[in-house]
Amino acid sequence: MSDHTPLNVLIVEDEVLLAAELSYLIAEVGCHDVGHAMSSEEAMALATSLRPDLALVDVHLRDGPTGIDVARRISSDCGGVALFMTANVKRLPDDMAGACGVIGKPYSEHGVKTALTFLTACLRDGVAPGRPPAGFQLAPAWAERWGVRELPLSA
Amino acid sequence: MPDDYQTSLDAGAALAAAHGADDPFAAAIRATRMPMIVTDARQAEHPIIFANDAFVAMTGYERDEIIGRNCRFLQGAQTDPEVVARVRDAVETGQDVAVDILNYRKDGAPFWNALYVSPVRDAAGEITYFFGSQLDITGRKRAELALLERRDDLQAAIETATADLQHALEQKTALLHEVDHRVKNNLQLISSLLLLQARRTPDPTVRSALRGMLERVNAVATVHRRLFQSEDVERFDVAAFIRDLVSDAIGSSGRSDITADLDLERVDVPADKAAPLALLFSELLGNAIRHAFPDGRAGVIKVSVRRENGCFRIEIADDGVGVATDEPRPGFGQTIIRLLCEQLRAECETADARPGLRTVIRLPVNGKH
Repeated sequence: MSDHTPLNVLIVEDEVLLAAELSYLIAEVGCHDVGHAMSSEEAMALATSLRPDLALVDVHLRDGPTGIDVARRISSDCGGVALFMTANVKRLPDDMAGACGVIGKPYSEHGVKTALTFLTACLRDGVAPGRPPAGFQLAPAWAERWGVRELPLSA
Repeated sequence: MPDDYQTSLDAGAALAAAHGADDPFAAAIRATRMPMIVTDARQAEHPIIFANDAFVAMTGYERDEIIGRNCRFLQGAQTDPEVVARVRDAVETGQDVAVDILNYRKDGAPFWNALYVSPVRDAAGEITYFFGSQLDITGRKRAELALLERRDDLQAAIETATADLQHALEQKTALLHEVDHRVKNNLQLISSLLLLQARRTPDPTVRSALRGMLERVNAVATVHRRLFQSEDVERFDVAAFIRDLVSDAIGSSGRSDITADLDLERVDVPADKAAPLALLFSELLGNAIRHAFPDGRAGVIKVSVRRENGCFRIEIADDGVGVATDEPRPGFGQTIIRLLCEQLRAECETADARPGLRTVIRLPVNGKH
């Protein structure tokens, strides 16, 4: 991965302690933390100006359950890939609002790191390096795009 | 006095004269308790020419107020015009007819009348009379109506109760989701706090203690993630939990030289046993990862779960250095293991497996060994 540009990652999370810890995890797997938004407005402003490769998006933000809309607009308007990080996995729309998948809260340090490493490979190569790691549920449309034939049962 | 009165009186007298007191049919009609009348079909208005005592008693009219009038004088404001029309059609076409009709007594009191009207023909087949029999069925009608009303009331009550229950269930489900969401978010917050502090702590002993607490919080968090994913929130799938936890614990240890060998039968425990069992398992697994393979020694940790003699048997075996380790086992971890076994009424034995250690937990299925 050293000979590749690291992923630029935007954190969209209204809980500052979670965001602070995520920032460390992003750095530890060799990605680049470009910014942190706590509301949908901040998220869209940062996504528009920074053009991140990946956005980690919580569903509940400072201005309500607006994360779903944020994810949809980041993937459709800003050329980025959204990844949900939420305790409300069951409330996500069937198409995952265009996001590539979801990590359910409470996640573990290891779970986030392996998911970020997996996504780095997918975005770099356009194909998955294998099956998605435990704790990371891949959206069907992205599984197809990245050639993950055998989806794990939604655990 | 109606215009037809005299004609009708004469016609009635002629009919009576033809059927004297010795005629048993006439005697029966005069004396029966069923109200009966005879109308004259040869007069335009079909006036009543005979009414028995029972009819007089039922309607409250005097006989001379009845003779010469068409039956319609018994109708009133609430009488159903459709029923009246059915009787009229039957009379015009010379058919029998039976209807329940609302009639009124002389004093204005309504009553339900089970009316039967039938034509009487002469030898040439011409209709000469109609006879009508009546029965006061007000009591039965009232009971029927009351029953209908009661059924409607009951139906309404059931619908209201069902809607209330549905609403209560929706509220409860929403509340459950809300609580689930908060529990998960708070567990996330706790583990993030522990991680943040562990990162900033230079003292390796303190950092190790924080890491230990993080592992325990992660074990409980894994339980909660699993618990609300399944449809059944009262049972907990131990095998699925162990699969998650082993992968996460070995992964986060950074020990790629340790591999897991899982042999897991699906075993469910009650949800209230899930967290203590998860903590107990996490403690034993953590010990194996930390102590069995020092100095970069590679190895395998075998975990198996199965039912055995009415117990759940969970085994954690490593092929590491066994008891001959220089590092003392942390006291707090051992205390947790002992207390949780007491709480779960579980037996926990650790033995030298040469190589390595084998720990077996036997958990009673129904609170008994």
